[in-house]
Amino acid sequence: MNLALKEIKKNKVRFLILGSIVFLVSLLTFIISGLANGLSQDNAALIKDLPEGQFYMNEDADEKYNLSRIDSELQNELLHKEKNAVAFSIQMGFLNDEADKQQSVAFVTSTDSKLFENVKPGEIILDSSLKKAGIKVGDTLTNNQFSGEFVVKGFVDQKKYSHAPVAFINMVNYQEIYRVMEMQMVFVPDADSSHEIAGLQSFSNKEFLGTISSYSAEQMSLNMIIWFLVVISGMLFAIFFYMMNVQKIGLYGILKAIGIKTSKLFKMIWTQMFVITVISLILSITLSQVFNMIAPEGMPFSLTFETTMQLSLVFLVIGFIGATLSGLQIKKIEPLQAIQQGEA
Amino acid sequence: MTLFEIDNVRKTFTNGEVKEEILKGINLSLREGEITALVGASGSGKSTLLTIAAGLQPTTEGQVLFEGKNMTNMSAEQVRQVRASKFGFVFQFAHLVPFLTVEEQLMLMLDVSETKLKKHEQTEEVNRILKLVGMDHRKNAYPSSLSGGEKQRVAIARAIIHKPKVLFADEPTASLDSKRSKEVMLLIRDLTKTLNITTLMVTHDEEMLAYADHIVKMSDGLILQNTN
Repeated sequence: MNLALKEIKKNKVRFLILGSIVFLVSLLTFIISGLANGLSQDNAALIKDLPEGQFYMNEDADEKYNLSRIDSELQNELLHKEKNAVAFSIQMGFLNDEADKQQSVAFVTSTDSKLFENVKPGEIILDSSLKKAGIKVGDTLTNNQFSGEFVVKGFVDQKKYSHAPVAFINMVNYQEIYRVMEMQMVFVPDADSSHEIAGLQSFSNKEFLGTISSYSAEQMSLNMIIWFLVVISGMLFAIFFYMMNVQKIGLYGILKAIGIKTSKLFKMIWTQMFVITVISLILSITLSQVFNMIAPEGMPFSLTFETTMQLSLVFLVIGFIGATLSGLQIKKIEPLQAIQQGEA
Repeated sequence: MTLFEIDNVRKTFTNGEVKEEILKGINLSLREGEITALVGASGSGKSTLLTIAAGLQPTTEGQVLFEGKNMTNMSAEQVRQVRASKFGFVFQFAHLVPFLTVEEQLMLMLDVSETKLKKHEQTEEVNRILKLVGMDHRKNAYPSSLSGGEKQRVAIARAIIHKPKVLFADEPTASLDSKRSKEVMLLIRDLTKTLNITTLMVTHDEEMLAYADHIVKMSDGLILQNTN
């Protein structure tokens, strides 16, 4: 006999309240997770879209890519040795459109590579978000550090860095704007941490993202909120079932007296936790995915089904732990205690 | 035939440094199909004796033999199995499961006692027992809609559905009025005789003694009188 479902059926309101709370907490967690992921894309899509590999910057740069200058000889040697390697630089800057309106961008330049857009001198390829600012193919853009003009050759989707749209320019133009001849970094796809180069410090993709100060601070805060919500949901289960169990001590005692196994009582709690959590998660997953589709374009929101599933699994595990902790008191219940008490 | 043998049972409770001996060497035999009533003032040890016999608490000294087996030496799981399959319980309060219907209360007991009956046989047995206790017309009712007497009838049905060898009844009529008490006692007596169940009952109510085969009077942890 399924005692768990029979109790849910008889006490619908009580379980509906718990379900609603789990639904709201999980929905909030999914939304914040979507925002975290969206912001992370907005902050570092340029880097996140690169394949796994190793980033190299100057050892003296103190893990700050904009202080790094890689010696040209060393760079050439490295690019010669590693066929797919690419040297690149990133700097924040401004572009003036045809109406002389200033647009904040992240200038990116690189050596020839499939991983970055290759542009000729005087040309520029922009992130498609700049289309909304009225910029179109063929427009000419200027920069007060640059003697010439940039002609817009095209747009690319989802290339952002430090919340700014990326502007791919030729190395010659970059060197003129920033008055540096050396590149900041070299990226070697498919390399691992054992691949060391004298004078350069290596970083995995994840480690490199960690060196972007705004990225780590932003993600750390949001992840803290996500895990806080997950822990809260576990505590909710523990508190709810604890309170239910306290009310049912007499009943559990009688059930134990007539010979019911303690394990069956635990299974009852676990089944209830599972049913409530799964129903709540199905609803919150559906709603968060709908939100993912209808979220305003300007909102940095990206929630993958994979992330939702991973978080759902964590919710189930936390719920299981919470319900089990609250159930530990069942083990201590003496049938005699219940018999000596009045009617529950 | 002797089914239950309580042999020199002693029970001492310790509260801090104070030791209190509740049972001071009890010897008692219960014969198959008979109702034994334990009577005595509060604190005489009758409820403690019943709960020890039912395997709900251990003895301090002495042994409880059921069907020739020493229950005091059994593991907690073995005692639970005996309670589930061989014993039935009726308490002062019905203690029904609030979210189960009358029919489901009995089905649960069949489930707990791990009876080998098939599903349709279980349903037939539940209907038969509910008819026997006069509750077949309320089988879909929840405890909250039953009167005190009806609840106690369901509790009795739950206690005997799995055909136990022994029925333990702790003040089964204490929460009922005089009319209902007589009805419940008549029911217990008829069922124990019909189904050959051995009953050990604790009661304060002298009127209920008329339904017992044996009356055991207890005082201060000792049996004062054992009469037929």
